[in-house]
Amino acid sequence: MNRRELLKLCGSAGLGFAAPMALPPLCQGAEPKGQLPDYVGPYYAIFNASGGWDTTYLMDPKGVDGINRLYKEGDILTHGKHKFAPTAKQVQKGISNEDFFRKYGSELLVINGLDYSVNNHAPGSRYMATGKLDSLAYPTFAALVASCRGPDVPLAFLTFGQYSATGNLVPMSRVPYLNSMNLLANADGIQGNSRSPYHDDFVTDRIERALKEQAKARAAKVRLPRVERSQSMLYAAQLNSKALERVTPYIPKASPKGRLSLQADIALASFKAGVCVSANLSIGQFDSHGNNDPDQMRLISEFLDGIDYMLTKAEELKIRDKLVIVIQSEMGRTPTYNKGQGKDHWSIGSIMFIGQDIRGNRVIGATDNNQLPTPVNAKSLSNDREKGIRVRPEHIHKALREFARIDKHKFSSQFPLKVSDKDRLRGLFG
Amino acid sequence: MKRTLLGLLTFCLWFPSTGAGKPTASAVGAFFIDEVWAKVGERTCLKCHNTEGDASESKFLMQDTSRDLNGLSKNLEVFLQMAAKRKAGKSRLLEKPTGGLKHEGGVVLKPDSSGYRILEEFVDRLSEFQGRKDLLAGHHQPPFFNGLTMMAPDRLLRRVTLSLAARLPTKEEHAALNKRGLRALDSILDELMKEEAFYERLLEGFNDVFLTQGYDGNSERILSYDHFNKSRNWFLKHDLNHVPEKERQKARYKLAGDYRQALRREPLELIRYIVANDRPITELVTADYIMVSPYSARGYGIYEQVRKKFKNPDDHLEYIRTQLPALKARSGKVQKSETGRYPHSGLLSTFQYLRRYPTTDTNRNRLRARMYYQFFLGVDILELASRVNDAAAISAKFDNPTMQAPDCVVCHRTLDPVAGLFQDFNAEGHLGPRKEGWYKDVFGPGLEGEGLPQKEQWRALQWLGERTAKDPRFTVAMAEHVYYILMGRRVLLPPEDIDDPMFGARRRAYKQQRRLIEDAAKRCANANFNLKVIFKDLIASKLYRVDGLAAASGNPQRQEELDDVGLVRLLTPEQLERKLTALFGQEWGELVGRESKFMILYGGIDSKSVTERISDPSGAMGAVQRIMANDVACRNVVLDFSRKSRERLLFPNIEPDVVPGDKPDSEAKIRRAIVHLHQHLLGQEHTAYHPEVERTYQLFAGIIVEARATKGLDKRESYHCGRIEGRRIEDPNYTLRAWRGVVTYLLRQHDFLYE
Repeated sequence: MNRRELLKLCGSAGLGFAAPMALPPLCQGAEPKGQLPDYVGPYYAIFNASGGWDTTYLMDPKGVDGINRLYKEGDILTHGKHKFAPTAKQVQKGISNEDFFRKYGSELLVINGLDYSVNNHAPGSRYMATGKLDSLAYPTFAALVASCRGPDVPLAFLTFGQYSATGNLVPMSRVPYLNSMNLLANADGIQGNSRSPYHDDFVTDRIERALKEQAKARAAKVRLPRVERSQSMLYAAQLNSKALERVTPYIPKASPKGRLSLQADIALASFKAGVCVSANLSIGQFDSHGNNDPDQMRLISEFLDGIDYMLTKAEELKIRDKLVIVIQSEMGRTPTYNKGQGKDHWSIGSIMFIGQDIRGNRVIGATDNNQLPTPVNAKSLSNDREKGIRVRPEHIHKALREFARIDKHKFSSQFPLKVSDKDRLRGLFG
Repeated sequence: MKRTLLGLLTFCLWFPSTGAGKPTASAVGAFFIDEVWAKVGERTCLKCHNTEGDASESKFLMQDTSRDLNGLSKNLEVFLQMAAKRKAGKSRLLEKPTGGLKHEGGVVLKPDSSGYRILEEFVDRLSEFQGRKDLLAGHHQPPFFNGLTMMAPDRLLRRVTLSLAARLPTKEEHAALNKRGLRALDSILDELMKEEAFYERLLEGFNDVFLTQGYDGNSERILSYDHFNKSRNWFLKHDLNHVPEKERQKARYKLAGDYRQALRREPLELIRYIVANDRPITELVTADYIMVSPYSARGYGIYEQVRKKFKNPDDHLEYIRTQLPALKARSGKVQKSETGRYPHSGLLSTFQYLRRYPTTDTNRNRLRARMYYQFFLGVDILELASRVNDAAAISAKFDNPTMQAPDCVVCHRTLDPVAGLFQDFNAEGHLGPRKEGWYKDVFGPGLEGEGLPQKEQWRALQWLGERTAKDPRFTVAMAEHVYYILMGRRVLLPPEDIDDPMFGARRRAYKQQRRLIEDAAKRCANANFNLKVIFKDLIASKLYRVDGLAAASGNPQRQEELDDVGLVRLLTPEQLERKLTALFGQEWGELVGRESKFMILYGGIDSKSVTERISDPSGAMGAVQRIMANDVACRNVVLDFSRKSRERLLFPNIEPDVVPGDKPDSEAKIRRAIVHLHQHLLGQEHTAYHPEVERTYQLFAGIIVEARATKGLDKRESYHCGRIEGRRIEDPNYTLRAWRGVVTYLLRQHDFLYE
């Protein structure tokens, strides 16, 4: 039975209407060996600075009114259209702003003055990840794009932390260690060794065929929605997991030491192998209520270093041109220092993008010297105090969905974003 | 003909809706029930306009119809009265919710909202309601569980014993069930809930909720230097002279590990103690004691005082209840206490819990307050946080936004008083009140309008715990936790989007589940807050026992109602490991433990950074399932055949020399063996020619046939899977390998991997 025939079978059984996936997983998975799902991009990587970053030490520098103690307004640097805080003198490990903007400024899109609207980690994370503040049901963009673009690939949505709700559209995967990829890649081999299989090949084939027949028989039965969904997902998970064997050649021999580079290696190997659509990467500790400056200096440079690592390695793997990177945090930090030399939560911040089809060397939106946002004209994307709008996560997500060409997908329709057409940010990505 | 039929159909569909030019009574009644009441009255008005609400003195009072639908008539009556009253030509029903006519609740509906439009339509259609008394008479939905089938008692029993006691049912339990039916379940559960395995499961489940195992740093860091500096590192100087010198360092590492495990486990042991001794679960927030083991007692410096209470002072996980004395600082200052003891208040005052949810100078215990609401009153303050118009501008505009800005006050008025009750504990979770006293620029310590009396300040958390225990929300929250433990998912949230076409279906599903939770909570409260009552109630409920659909429903609304119905839970790594142990008589050992490669991969948690279990299998988890099925079959098939037949778990009725077709009764024997495997591994009671058994038989027979036709196959089982005591086992007919294939196949199935 080929893929087309099986889809037909599933459709006749009514699965296409009942299952929540883009295509019923049963139907997605039941393919002959050699035709396992293969996703070829674009690949989406969401970098999260968990805890709330200080944007005035990165892409939205101030240096006035005591907002920053490490530099003055006159020290602010530029690269093309970008303005950024000088950090080279403070950075001990990782990469400085100077190096980052010099290397990537021409590709980098920055949005400043983003209104997170809330001051708390949990709702802020949810809002930034989904574009919807007041719902626990919405999927993150990473999960949504994975479900729309490649629901049948075995690691469609990889997450390493931060808010990761899936909206029941696609399973999430956590793969914490590189070496575990080897085991997964060769699940039918003893201790992950493909040359030492548990069963003779013909036995394995017969097991797979029996499972496939069973799945077909069950598809014709009347089942509770949860039973139907879970049986389909289970079958797809096991069958499609065989595609993980393609990851093996791309698993680096040595594990990198950085927190983000470890995550990046797993994501990149999965992207390259065609088994992953999106990955949620994250490092924490940005919540600098005490000693803001040393903490942010250390973490921002580590964060940028992780992004640099991913871009560099993607280049080596020849998938750099298929990569879309979102760089974000769930909140900003106050314009003033508290008594503990820290900065507290602030509901205004920034977001950055690099990648395929994103026009760089651009800065959209701004904050004033009180770190309050300047409205943005949704049509021209210029600052416009008269007719502009406060750019909020739903505006960004609306644009992201359009950019990823999933805005018309039925899964996106299940989770609509309430942005009127006049408030749609036109041409945000260039 | 076709055209004529279509025309007739169209006419039939149109006729009832037009009738004599006036909608039917049931259509009018349905509009009130499904639109006016469900989407506006119940969600918006009822919050205040009830006999105990803020608007209890208003004439516009309505009844909660969650349990008693008779209240609908009364509610319709008050809505009709309000709609008919007019001020300057406009119905009061439309004026009030938009903040007009001095509505004390302010604006609860915006004029462009869907809720307001529903009220407008109600007012417009007033004439349809007036003078008719039969409007709600015909509004009867079929029972929620109509058309659903329940699990057979034997299967239910297997599910319960595997889930809660990590074992198969006993013969006695089966006999009791056969004799008394589901009524026997109560006493079976009573006995089951005395078993050690139940408590392992209980503690694991509650750790999923409270996550106390995941606090930061080494375990002994819960003990402050200021109060426990002489005792908390006792393991460093503990006399190990009886251990040979070469092994002493290793022994000390083990001592430290055991001590740390003992400390970290204490909060969960409190839950075990309460439940095992049928004590009220309210002690979770009121217990004036903690649980200590011989090792953790040493950390507190109280070992000598409690030593004689232990049965085995060398068992680092034997726990007893005890009380700490008021803590004494290095300076000699003793914690203020009228009893001379540390004011224990269950989990709330344990250092582990406090450290798990730390604070900062600016957070000011708000995280602790938030978690208090979530864990003990079932209220998640932040999850549905509403947008503030301009949070940053408010922060800049007000000197003290949390007390002055209305957008902020709405939450902080509730949150900050509870935060103030934790004021004696510092960021580390240690006793360490601020030298300058609690903050003055926040709402003062208290609980929902009641201030903490000064004289109670030394025991503020006890004061909180006492009030919490009396709050009906506490028991409901406990029922929600038990629901999560049993079902593996959180309770449903009420649907919020009244524009959602599935709103009605979601509301019905939510209410069905809500009734179950609230009923279980009430029964628990009436049984002296015995948590076991909730377990028994939920297990006996139809929501837990639903097993299938009698017939397909093409109605999307009905499908949505049933979307969350049925247990259907992917086993966690811990559950799967226990199930394997129960069915194979030995653990697999790869899914759990600190060294496990698969724990997180298979959706498990570390209680710290990974705190949510994965409920749907990804490809990575599918690969783990394949590994498990291959490896468990590999380890067990030959081993099982090597035992005497009566001692076998998997193949008690067959030998490896039985080959399909070689003797007249071979097929029957093989089918019997397969029936046993289906029953043992999957809990399926099938006959020898059931399609599932047939498929398995064909798998087995097909492997044998293909093996015979394949040249060059080894006549022995494989090196890795086929050795007993180092010797490779002969497998001339390939039956051992075929049975291994069968077991692998069965272990990959939904009935094995899901509960």
